[in-house]
Amino acid sequence: MNTPLSPLIHLIDDDAAVRDSLALLISTVGLRVQPWASPPVFLAEFNRSGIGAIVLDVRMPGISGLTVLETLIAEGVDQPVIMLTGHGTVEMCRRAFKSGAAEFLEKPVDDQLLLDTLQSAVRLHVKSRERNQADRDARERFSQLSEREREVLGLIVAGLTNKEIGRALGVSPRTVETHRANLFVKLNAESLAQLIRHYATLVEATP
Amino acid sequence: MDIKRFNLWALAWVIATALGCIVLARMELDRIRDAFETDARIVHRLLSQRASQQDAVMAMLTLLHSTNRAAQPGPRITSVYPQILKVQQREGDAVWPDAALSTAQTQSRQAGRAVLASIDFANGRFEILQAGVPASYAVQIDLSSMVPWDEWPMKPDHSPVRVTLAYQGQEFVLQPGRIVNQPWKFDFHKRLAADSQPFDVVAVRTAGWGDLPWLWMLGWTVLSAAALFALINALRQHAERRRAEELLRLGQVARLNTLGELAAGMAHELNQPLTAILANTQAASRLLNDEPPELATARDAMTHAVEQARRASDVVGRMRRIVERPEVSGQLQPVELQHAVRNALYLLEPECRRRNVTPVIASDDAKIRVRAEPVALEQIIHNLLTNALQALDKVPATERTLHIDLQMVAGFGTLTIRDSGPGIAADVLPRIFEPFFTTRSDNTGLGLGLSLCESLAGDMNGSLTAANHASRGAVFTLKLPLAESA
Repeated sequence: MNTPLSPLIHLIDDDAAVRDSLALLISTVGLRVQPWASPPVFLAEFNRSGIGAIVLDVRMPGISGLTVLETLIAEGVDQPVIMLTGHGTVEMCRRAFKSGAAEFLEKPVDDQLLLDTLQSAVRLHVKSRERNQADRDARERFSQLSEREREVLGLIVAGLTNKEIGRALGVSPRTVETHRANLFVKLNAESLAQLIRHYATLVEATP
Repeated sequence: MDIKRFNLWALAWVIATALGCIVLARMELDRIRDAFETDARIVHRLLSQRASQQDAVMAMLTLLHSTNRAAQPGPRITSVYPQILKVQQREGDAVWPDAALSTAQTQSRQAGRAVLASIDFANGRFEILQAGVPASYAVQIDLSSMVPWDEWPMKPDHSPVRVTLAYQGQEFVLQPGRIVNQPWKFDFHKRLAADSQPFDVVAVRTAGWGDLPWLWMLGWTVLSAAALFALINALRQHAERRRAEELLRLGQVARLNTLGELAAGMAHELNQPLTAILANTQAASRLLNDEPPELATARDAMTHAVEQARRASDVVGRMRRIVERPEVSGQLQPVELQHAVRNALYLLEPECRRRNVTPVIASDDAKIRVRAEPVALEQIIHNLLTNALQALDKVPATERTLHIDLQMVAGFGTLTIRDSGPGIAADVLPRIFEPFFTTRSDNTGLGLGLSLCESLAGDMNGSLTAANHASRGAVFTLKLPLAESA
């Protein structure tokens, strides 16, 4: 897997001149570009787990950019997709956004606009990937808790004191204290606030 | 016109002809019958008058009786009344030589008036007798002489009407007529208005196919055919005109669609190189700003930009070749300006009517023949008139006028179209013939109409100018060189 710090832009356009020039332009801001001439080849081969964004021309022979977009969204690809078109109609624009396009730009496109759009798209993608990673980690740790520890965590999140928790569960405050210590270790939490911030939603989602 | 339609029209014609002929025949037969009945009544009246006259003569004879033989009225009577062939008299109850006369005398005495004594229709005679005191008279009357031929309403030798007197199975023919077995027969029976001569006047008239008004019927047949043809023709012309208008409209729509397609294609074809040029030059600019500048890559980018600029220019060139107008200068021919104006107005007549505009045409009497390409000329006139009509939409219906002036000036034929619309704004006037320049805000026009008109006028060695009229409205003037006088 590529490192998140080196995002890759997939550029799909059937016109070689447009493809090359846009690739050159994008590379001037230090982004890596992978040009694709054929939508089917792109769909078959591109790295779905990488960090980056996809720039897609709407008007291409054989398969339209909108179809490619819909395929990508249906596959659950999370890279943001930026649509490029020569003559965008309102209808086309609406359909693109409805299908899940991140942005819709008209050709010829100004460099600053394109590059800003790409960079913010990449930033968003990195963020969403990180958030997803953190979510996965939290879920992983949460699943290691025992039944009793989950009950205790739920009551902690609800704002009860050790004494109250002990009364509620019919155990001594001392036992609650032990569970609490284990929780902090297992969930890799450094403070009560962090614990609540990261796990409140998981607790609420668990019956 | 297809066969089915033709059959329908033929059927309509047959029905119209048949109905018309039946009515005409009916009218003619009615006329014949009326004439016949009138004549028959006249005949009856004439004969009745004579019969009464004869009764009166009889009464007079008995009253004027004289024993003096020399004073006998008999001989004088026969000379005054030519129908009276013979007068006989018997004193008192003297015996008549004829038993019939004796019987009649008895009857006459009982009735107190003249009675019929005997008839001999075979010889055209009859006798009437008036019993009287001291003498009774009997006269013999000739039927033919009894008829007042000079007052007779028909020509006895030629009339088709048969007139007879009938009494107890005997018949005397006054006028033979022409009686044949024919489909129509009229008859008339009436007894004479004189008791002494109870004869029936019988008139018979037959009418056959020959009596029908064939000439009128033929005339009607031809006329209805002509009327039907005129109707068919009018309908066909109407349909053709509608079709022409429809085609014109479709043509305009198709042209707009084609232009739309062309514009979309052009947009894509030009956008690709423009995108590449922009990306290349902007990339180059960024590369040159780098520390140190990446000269080699920037140079490549610029080379690519140049290539793409050429590509864009090729696209434009190709497009121009596609939409290039066919050369009109080679197809110039003498065209009558008045005719072209009439054609254009004819096509726009519904538009004028809808706007309540009546175009006023002022023209030299002489035909103005200019050198032009007929289709291009009509396109210009059509365009100018359409623009004028659209300008008139912006003023109230009562203030709408459209003047079309045709003149010959110094070797040129000029056509001036002036409307009473709002005129042309001062900032618009200098740009009015620019391609893609339009004042319509609703995107309905491409702004090519006037530009095209001006180019076409120029191609035909003429000119098109626009101005505002001193009082109000816009004035467009088309000038075209006159055709060499043939």
